[in-house]
Amino acid sequence: MTKRKNISKYLAYLFLIIVCLIWVIPMIFGFMTSFRSQAEVVNEGFRLLPVDWIVDNYIKILDNTSSAPILRWIGNSIFISTTHTLLVVVIISLTGYGYSRMRFKGRDVLFFTLMGISFFPNVVNIIPMYRIIDILGWVNTSWAMIVPGLAGMGNIFLVRQFMKGIPAELDESARVDGAGDFTIYFKIILPLIKPVLIVAGLFSFIGSWNDFLWPVIVYTDVKRMPVTAGLLLLQDIYGNYQMIGQLMSSAILAIIPTLLLFLFAQKYFVSAINLNAGIKG
Amino acid sequence: MNNNKHSHWFFIGPHIILFLVFILIPSIYGVYASFTNWNLMTSPTWVGLDNYQTILFNQDSSFHLEFFNGLKNTLIFVVISVPLMIIIPLLIATAIEHKDVKFKNFFQSIIYIPGLISISAAALIWSLIFNSQLGVMSNLFGSDTVWTATQPYAWMTIFIMTVWGGIGGNMIIYRASISGVSEDLYESAEIDGAGPIRKFFSITLPSIRFPLIYTVVMTTAGAFNVFGQPLMMTNGGPRESTSVLMMYIRDLAFGSGQSIAGIASAMAVLMGMIILIISAAQYYVMNRNSA
Repeated sequence: MTKRKNISKYLAYLFLIIVCLIWVIPMIFGFMTSFRSQAEVVNEGFRLLPVDWIVDNYIKILDNTSSAPILRWIGNSIFISTTHTLLVVVIISLTGYGYSRMRFKGRDVLFFTLMGISFFPNVVNIIPMYRIIDILGWVNTSWAMIVPGLAGMGNIFLVRQFMKGIPAELDESARVDGAGDFTIYFKIILPLIKPVLIVAGLFSFIGSWNDFLWPVIVYTDVKRMPVTAGLLLLQDIYGNYQMIGQLMSSAILAIIPTLLLFLFAQKYFVSAINLNAGIKG
Repeated sequence: MNNNKHSHWFFIGPHIILFLVFILIPSIYGVYASFTNWNLMTSPTWVGLDNYQTILFNQDSSFHLEFFNGLKNTLIFVVISVPLMIIIPLLIATAIEHKDVKFKNFFQSIIYIPGLISISAAALIWSLIFNSQLGVMSNLFGSDTVWTATQPYAWMTIFIMTVWGGIGGNMIIYRASISGVSEDLYESAEIDGAGPIRKFFSITLPSIRFPLIYTVVMTTAGAFNVFGQPLMMTNGGPRESTSVLMMYIRDLAFGSGQSIAGIASAMAVLMGMIILIISAAQYYVMNRNSA
């Protein structure tokens, strides 16, 4: 019995270690290659550690501020994702409050109608959405990426579920003391739903940062692009892998912001999906 | 009561406006546009079922060929990637949740991190790994094939990158669900002499069936929208054998030259219908079998 348990333990470890190696090697390989010169990559072929460590690739890619302004792209992405996230938090907390703690006629019918409509496949919306963004004058602006995602229902559902778990007595006693809805929302509910807002905010940030199809459609202006769309352009400019080090250093620079976010907010990323699973499970 | 009768509009009103402008109107307009001839800029002209007729039945039309090629390739991606994106994270989650395994969060983080990397950054690195002259595959394994331009390797590069970057979310969901399964169940199974495989199939799997149904449906619907991996790894090649529907829809509506948004919308509606039917069927079958 114990022996069999030990074997299964070692098998689990072996499996996990192999998987983790496969998972990290590409990242390490990209990172190391970003410090190798083109000549070295071509002549020496594959090796994990550079023969000569150079930072030229980073200097060159940072110097190119016209055809591939990588820092500007990252700046655009940070602006877009941060603004989007802040607005998401405001919208979902207000809307979640409305659908869970206020009483008005047809509330739940309205909520579930919107939920139902939102399951309609997104692929159908994309073309008309471009037209709407165009009419609003938002093509090639950050608003094209910040605003449309605020309409989603997923996070509102999450907040509404979470708010339902907060006892109604809290609101009632505040109402007796003369508090209105806005006071209750701001002073009582908002502090209590902070965990779910952090979680929804983090996922909105990552989602908006990594969005690919939509930015490829709405941005043609090199200076206005977020970094995901920029890297597609970069692949064309530096095509055929004539400037491998620069491609890799750009990829690494683009990875850093979300990686830092993960390192600082790791516990929320994990608790996050626990919460998701708890509701759906 | 100082409760204003209309104060709820302050809370739900802003979102309702966003919902109308960015979900409801585009959805309705997308369906409408599929019955029109439209170039995105001038007003669409009604053509009835012509677009559908062309796409589905006109053997001489390039739209017909593109749609069915795109659909075939999208289905290849869905049929192969979805099982991988369910089974691999399930195995990893089971291994992490083995009660004698330590460093659980460390293993989880390593596997989760690629999900934080955007498709375009990941594709730059993976393209180099599969590069025929300079990459890992050629230098380490002596393969002189151009992986991204030869089948079946081109598909393999897409699947490898997809699994690498896409299983983190499912893994965490499975881990959370597995850790919630009562220890008593496993202990009584052990007393009955059940081995680890038996325990996995008769206790773990049935206990996590709701998260399992949820992830299968969501992963499948997501897989239909595949776009970034083939665009950046193979650019749809070789000979359009990895060109997926989303790439054709984007090219028709937003590519260089005159926009053919009517045809693109009809393709989008057809694709949307397929996603809806398959999601509903999956939900129905899995829910019934596990009830």
